This record gives sequence, structure tokens and C-alpha cells, in this order.
Amino acid sequence: MKIALCSSFVPFVNGGYRNIVEWLEASLLEAGHEVERIYLPEVDTPELLFKQMAAFRYVDLSAADRIICFRPQSHLIPHPRKVVWFIHHLRPFYDLWDSPYRGFPDDAKHRGIRDALHATDTAALHEASAIFTNSRVVSDRLKQFNDIDSEPLYPPIFQPARFQFRSMNDEIVCICRLEHHKRQHLLIEALAHCRTPVRLRLCGVAGDPGYAEMLEGLVAQHGLADRVVVDHRWITEEEKADLIADCLAAAYIPVDEDSYGYPTLEAAHARKPVLTTLDAGGTLEFIVDQQSGLIAPPFPEAIAKCMDQFYADRGVTRAMGESARSRIDELRIGWPHVLERLLA
Amino acid sequence: MKVLIVNNMAPFVSGGAESMATHLKRNIEIAGHQAEILRIPFQWEPATRIPSQMLMSRAFELEGVDHVIAMKFPAYLVRHPRKTLWLVHQYRQAYDLYDAGHTNLPEGQLGSDLRRVIKNADDACFRDARRIFAISDVTRDRLAKYNGFESTVLRAPLNDPDIFTGGPAEGYIFAGGRVNDAKRQHLLVEALAHAPRTVRLVIGGPPDTSADGDKLRATVERLGVQDRVRLDLRFLDRLEYARYVNGASAVASLPFDEESFSYVAMEAATAAKPIISTSDSGGVLGLARHGTTGWVAAPNAKALAQVMADVYASAERTRELGVAAQACWEGFNITWPATAQALLS
Repeated sequence: MKIALCSSFVPFVNGGYRNIVEWLEASLLEAGHEVERIYLPEVDTPELLFKQMAAFRYVDLSAADRIICFRPQSHLIPHPRKVVWFIHHLRPFYDLWDSPYRGFPDDAKHRGIRDALHATDTAALHEASAIFTNSRVVSDRLKQFNDIDSEPLYPPIFQPARFQFRSMNDEIVCICRLEHHKRQHLLIEALAHCRTPVRLRLCGVAGDPGYAEMLEGLVAQHGLADRVVVDHRWITEEEKADLIADCLAAAYIPVDEDSYGYPTLEAAHARKPVLTTLDAGGTLEFIVDQQSGLIAPPFPEAIAKCMDQFYADRGVTRAMGESARSRIDELRIGWPHVLERLLA
Repeated sequence: MKVLIVNNMAPFVSGGAESMATHLKRNIEIAGHQAEILRIPFQWEPATRIPSQMLMSRAFELEGVDHVIAMKFPAYLVRHPRKTLWLVHQYRQAYDLYDAGHTNLPEGQLGSDLRRVIKNADDACFRDARRIFAISDVTRDRLAKYNGFESTVLRAPLNDPDIFTGGPAEGYIFAGGRVNDAKRQHLLVEALAHAPRTVRLVIGGPPDTSADGDKLRATVERLGVQDRVRLDLRFLDRLEYARYVNGASAVASLPFDEESFSYVAMEAATAAKPIISTSDSGGVLGLARHGTTGWVAAPNAKALAQVMADVYASAERTRELGVAAQACWEGFNITWPATAQALLS
């Protein structure tokens, strides 16, 4: 089948939004399909939205048997066999309207843009022959704002067999970008409250170097230099697999994310449980408290208790890791299932 | 610098310009910059839809991009304050092909309106461009003739010059590349029938259609030259292809009215092989110079047969012409580092 994968992109900005497209591309090619990947630029400035949306309407992919659309506003591209794998709305106009992240005034003009955007999105989504999302959270939003039903189709990671269980040391790892909203600082503050000698390793690149410095400062302030490693760089995939293979458990505590996050899935493939917080969003769709991981209120003392539990009850920790691995199959997170649904 | 290369795409069809863009990206990165490729889908049928495709290119917004290098219509209409054009081609059906009657633009007022829309947008784009480079003399001349803009010729370099190492001549003339009527491999087979029996010919490359392959095989049969010609009619991987070039006594490239030097001739010169061409081969004659870097014959079998005889008359002379072809090619300094530098300047 000739399949066009369509998404918007920001030139020179990489991230998970490209992974889902490119990993699907690799899986489709492996399954013998012809694939064309189409990334078109989009800038989210309210005044510039509609002319760019017109551009998406002019994209002619009639040479494809089917198109699969990801990041907004690629779902506006017309096609008789349009499948949408919806990963998020233009959130400032949707769920983030009443939040500090809106970035423009709540006035008649912007309300007008918002209402027209909602109407356009709804109409374009009605053109689709199938709509999938990357999480229950996003499906709920589609229902709430656009009154559209959709099926969560959880994005797998690429070549998951790279992540294997090898041993259990006394280290909790958190491997993702160092960002304030990923809250690595909370993990350091928690460690200061721990009663066991459990250790912490934070790996990732900071978009804002100030945040990495702040983390270093926190480590020094609490006198934790001998128990925390802050590895401020982009570690290789091999290094990552090694660290996870030998760790005690993983931690992933972002603020209200849409999806469970690739770090969660990487740990689960390696049969390691994941520590998260009640307000982390999508991780809660994957992690079941005391089964596939631990869920704490977002406070240092509560998180510390979980970290101590991982260390103290190693048998239980090990069993939770196995349960995290089973959770992947329970939620049918895998490329064969994804291909079956997207090509149905 | 963050450099965005902007190119067209025809979905599910990969063309030469795509691999140019890929190599350009890599060489911009080697020069110490960041580079990414934006491929904008272009649908030109029916022609009445072309203005929507132009609007589309015009409506995209670019943020966080320091420099744009754009190659084709209508992708090059994308707006950016620092845009350099490396013109592969304009929409020829609105220009020279329109004049020649080979156009998909409708007849009458509608067609001439569409043509004017295309030309006006092109003119505005060329006016706003930081610099304009053209891929060939023909492209440069066409731009000057139809739009009145000056440009600098910047030819596409070879992507893998290092595999064309040259080597001892093994006694055959090689004709590589796509096989079709316009590339005129059949003329070489016909010449062979008139040439001394010592001449050996190898034709290697993929026929455009199965009919092109059948026709060539039939010609060989009809002239009874099976024992002196080898037809390797398939897609050759680059190393197989290079092996044929490196072992050849001379390389033939006689396309009709080619715009560029032709990759076949560039590869031959890189490998220090003399080039056989014909007087109506257009751009190839920039590299193939009679008696200096090879032989240029009238486009008929008898004249080509004489050239074939000359290739075998003196191995020493043939080798010297090859060395001269290499020196001629190197004199142009058409390399990826130089090309990337020009496009970033």
C-alpha cells in the first residue's frame, strides 16, 4: 500500500513528535509498504494560523492510497482515506485556554479565532475514516471539545528488545530531558528525605542550562553528592539501555503530560517498575499503584517513601517490574497492533 | 547557521533533485551548520490547480530558520528574508515548453492567464532572492530570456567521486546510465556494425521501459554484433557501475540536447577516461572536446564508427585524452564543499 505519513514540524526541533512518525515509517517499510513522510512547517501564532491551515488544505496527496496524520494541523489535509493518529490539539486554544500557557489575551478577537479553529478542526476530523489518539487523556479532550469519538492507540517504542532486565542495583534512574516541568528537582528534594541509602541518577540535556545548574545546586545544598549523579548530556541509546538494565527502578514525574511517556515504556520493557506522581497525567494510564509501579502525591516526603520502598522491599520491587512488563501486553502496546489498527 | 533546503516532491516518485538535496544537506553539515530539508508536495494536474499549489508554498511560515536554499517551482515561492535559489527548473510548461506547444496549460485565455500568474509569482520571487544560481547554462539562459534575471551557473557535483578511481583500460567502450531513445545507445550498436572487429562495447543501465530494452536487443540481433557487445540492461549498484567505468578504454555519452554535463561524462572524466559524444549533445560538449578530452562525432553510425576505430588505434593517445578529460573536469572545481559554500554565501 502507498501510505503518506503527514505531520507538522518545527525545523531544527527534534523530539517525541518525530519519533512516533519515523518509527511507524520504519515499521511500515518493514511490513513491505511504500511510505512517503511529509513534514510541513507550522507556526502557532494566532494571527498566522488560518492562512497556514489553508496551505494544509491545498496539499494534494491523491497519489497515496491512504494518509495518516499526526501533529496539528496536518489533520486538515484532505484525502478520501484519511486516518488520524491525533497526538494533541493546539492546546492554548483548547485545554490550556484557562491557564498561564495561553500566551495571548482572552479577548473577542482571540475567542473568535478559537471558535473558528474548533469548528474547522471538528469538520476536518469528521472527514477522517478513523481517528486514533496517543492516550485516553487526548481521547477525552477530543470528546469534550469536538464531540468526536476516538480510540487510544498507544505508541510503542522502537526496537523494544533493546531493553532487557540484567540486575538490580540501588539506583533509581530518570532519563529524559532536564526540564522544570519534568521535575527532576523534586526527585533530589525527595532523596534528602529518604531513610535508606537508595541512590538517584538523572540523565538528559537541559533546554535551559540554568535548570541543570539549579539541580547541581540542590544536590550540594542537601549534601547528596555521593548519592546523586546529574549527567547533563544526551546519552546514547546503548548507555540508556545499560543503565535501565541494571537499575533498581525508574522515575518519571512530569507535570500533566498527555501520554505515558517513552521513559515509562523503556523501563517496563526492562522489567523495572516506575515511580510517578498523581498529577503526572498520561503515566497514570500505564502505571497501576503497587502493581506496575508506585504513584505518590507530588511532594518530596511522599516521593521519598516510595523510593525507600523500592530499596527496602526488593522482592516486591522485582515483582512490580514483572507486572510493568505484563502491562505492555495488557494495553496492546506494540507495532503489530498499531499497524493492524491504522491499516484496518 | 540553521539552513533549510526547500524542494518539491512528487509523492512516491524519487527524482535526481531529491538526492541533490540530500547531498547538499550533508555537505552543509560538514561545513559546520545545521541543515534540514523541507519537501513540499506538488500536484500540477490539472493545470488549473497550479495556483493553489503556489499559494500553498507562499502560505507556509518558517520560524527559527536563518537561511533558505530553494530549488524548484513552486516550493521556491516559500517566503524567507534570506533565500538563495539554486534553480533546477522553473515550471517549463509555462515557458519554453509552452512556446514549443508541449504544455498542460489549457488553450486560450485561461491558459495565458495561468501562464501570467506563474510568471508574475516567479518574477517577484527572483526579485526578492538573495542570490540566484542555475543548475546549467540552459537554465540560466532560460531565466534570462523569459524573466530577465541574471544568475550564476552552479552545476550539481558528483555525489560519490571517490569510487571513480580509474584504472587500466580493459579494451571496451562503456555506455552507462538510463537506456532510452533520447540517450541513443542504439546509435552505438549501429556504429559497431561499421567499426573494426576489435571494438568491444558494453551498455549497462536500466531501460526506461521494457520496450526500450527489447529494441536494443533486437538491434544487436539484426546487425549480428552479439559477439562484440555486452548488454547489461538492469539497475546497476554504484560500485558495479563504477567498475565498468574504471575498466573502460573510453566512455560514450551521446544524449540528444542534454542540459547538463551529464553524470556519465562527469564520472568518466573523474576516472580519467576519454569521452565519446556527438555534436548535438548540448551540455556534454562542455566536457567532451574533440581531440582534447575525447571525440565528438556527427550523430550518425558511420562517424561514430570512425571514432571507435580511433579509440583502439593508439592506447597511449587514448590514455592521454583521458588524463586531459580529468584535468578539464577538475578545472571546473565542481565539488560539494565548493557548492555548499557558494549556496551559503
